[in-house]
Amino acid sequence: MAEIQILGVSKAYGGVPALDNVSLTLNDGSFTSIFGPPGAGKSVLLRLLLGLETVDAGQILIDGVDVTRALPSERNLGMVFQNLALFPQLTAYENIAFPLRRRNVDQTEIDRRIETLAGILNIGHILSKKPAALSGGERQRVAIGRALVRDAGAYLMDEPIAALDARLRDDMRLELKRLQSELGKTFVYVTHDCDEAMAVADQLAILNEGRFEQVGRPEDVYGDPAMLAVAELVGAPRISVLPAFGDNDGMKFALGRLAGAKVKGECLMALRPEAVQLKPGGKGPCSALVTDIERLGAFSIVTAGRDGTQVRAITDGDSPLRLGAEVEITVDPDGMLLFDAATGARHA
Amino acid sequence: MTGLILRTLAVAFFAALALLPISWMASMAFKPAAEWTSAAGTLTFLPKDPTLNNFRYVFTGNSPDQMVGLDRTVWRPLYASLLTAISGTLIAVICGTAAAYAVSRQRIHESIGLSLLQLRIFPPLAVMIPVMIMWSFLGMIDTWWGLALIYGIVTLPFSYWLMKAYFDELPREIEEAAIVEGCTPFEAFRQITLPIVASAVASTALFIFILNWSDYLIALLLTRKEWTTIPVYMNALATAASGQLYGAKAALGLLAAVPPIILGISIQRFLVRGLTFGALKQ
Ligand SMILES: Nc1ncnc2c1ncn2[C@@H]1O[C@H](COP(=O)(O)OP(=O)(O)OP(=O)(O)O)[C@@H](O)[C@H]1O
Ligand SMILES: [Mg+2]
Repeated sequence: MAEIQILGVSKAYGGVPALDNVSLTLNDGSFTSIFGPPGAGKSVLLRLLLGLETVDAGQILIDGVDVTRALPSERNLGMVFQNLALFPQLTAYENIAFPLRRRNVDQTEIDRRIETLAGILNIGHILSKKPAALSGGERQRVAIGRALVRDAGAYLMDEPIAALDARLRDDMRLELKRLQSELGKTFVYVTHDCDEAMAVADQLAILNEGRFEQVGRPEDVYGDPAMLAVAELVGAPRISVLPAFGDNDGMKFALGRLAGAKVKGECLMALRPEAVQLKPGGKGPCSALVTDIERLGAFSIVTAGRDGTQVRAITDGDSPLRLGAEVEITVDPDGMLLFDAATGARHA
Repeated sequence: MTGLILRTLAVAFFAALALLPISWMASMAFKPAAEWTSAAGTLTFLPKDPTLNNFRYVFTGNSPDQMVGLDRTVWRPLYASLLTAISGTLIAVICGTAAAYAVSRQRIHESIGLSLLQLRIFPPLAVMIPVMIMWSFLGMIDTWWGLALIYGIVTLPFSYWLMKAYFDELPREIEEAAIVEGCTPFEAFRQITLPIVASAVASTALFIFILNWSDYLIALLLTRKEWTTIPVYMNALATAASGQLYGAKAALGLLAAVPPIILGISIQRFLVRGLTFGALKQ
């Protein structure tokens, strides 16, 4: 049981800030995803929480106690490292037992806990093998087991399932989500896959270039991004961003005009692909040619554009649109997000 | 097919070339004195009249072949060689491993690696003459610890650089995982890191032992009589009556190869093994 508070934490390496005055509260029993592009500072943040590195400025509180200067062993956190960091000389069983052996837990209890975990993680059959004999996915599950075997206040996971193949990854993230709600523990889950971040989290924190761009419920961050950077990072397929000009007639941009201008003057218009509709024919105020079709079964991603300006749309899996066809573009007003052209801040 | 034959022949040729001096030494070790040189007739590759007298001579100082006895047997130099080479190896491996670990993890004082190399930049003789003067000033000439110490010092760069490469390759997260689970940094090093790098330490130790064991120059300069090592003793193997004792030298050479081989075989299971294989994702 632990609530973690990060208060104004900064960390720089050789003068280059990796984290710049970040604050975040992880409620007891919450599942927080920290999502950000490579190099955003996600791993650094976890290392600071663990006490493997010291902060340059700011405070870290666990359950209200200041642990900013505490040793890693005094923080009672479990960790799955990005590169797993299994002990190569120990069997999977001994890897998982290690945290318990350190705490002199007796053998029957160790057996009992590992048996339970092995069932959940589906690694019962590989416990006697050393890491070298395991597949990437098995190693990952052993590393998760090593973190979860102990009764930690919170569990930190640095891209714990990144090495798994797509299907296993989908299964594992559901499994972790289920595990978390069963255990009722605080989970911090770092990933650079936004689907994954959205799927598991109660709280989604977007980290970009050493700062939290936005923190909130995943659906809020997705539907109501505060910054252009957030809108661009969250959501797949990617949002289309277009320079536009709003006046009484609507939003004007390179492909024509869209109805409903909530903002006057220059701005950046971002269109969620699911809010964009493409209709065959090109008579309307906004039209373009189909330049790309990716058919993904349940849906297709269609890109339409002209002269380098492109808009992505999600259409039916069996969309009748053909490459080169003229289409008319309309947009659901809710899916149109407007940002300040200079600062990237969201227009209300 | 012809390619395979040609390749096999080429390999056999070079293997034979490499083994020629060693096989010549091995055969010489079993030749009676009369066959050592061509003085008494033709020189043959294999001994015409194999004998163990050469071995008897170096171990006991007497041989039916020789009129004059040796004033020193091999026992004392053998002891000196083992003691100094092993102690020197321990010094180099322990200090080198500790230094390499510290520098690799703390990422400070990395220039230490280059400064360690200074002893190796100059021709050995240019370095050893000043060392000889220092050693004599310190009263360490012809002592086992004086020789062991300099062996440790001159081989330290090798153990440092080899171990540094291993530690650099070993991600710090493996230790950190242990630290998060409640180990102190030292416990993490002893319980986790050291067993992982044991094979690397073993290979390094073997390599350094062979360097120390085969040293001639340093022992020649820094010992007089008490602590002369096998290579120095071997070079001095001659009597006024018989001149150079080639057979005895060959026998000694053959014997001198035994400790490194035994060491190599006994630590073989540690040698050549991937360090972190399996610890990481890929
Ligand atoms: N020990 C270090 N020394 C110097 N720079 C570091 C160190 N650790 C991290 N950095 C820098 O801090 C920044 C953030 O790194 P971090 O590892 O947290 O990124 P990340 O968000 O985890 O990225 P990824 O998704 O690739 O894992 C990077 O620019 C990195 O180069
Ligand atoms: Mg990272």
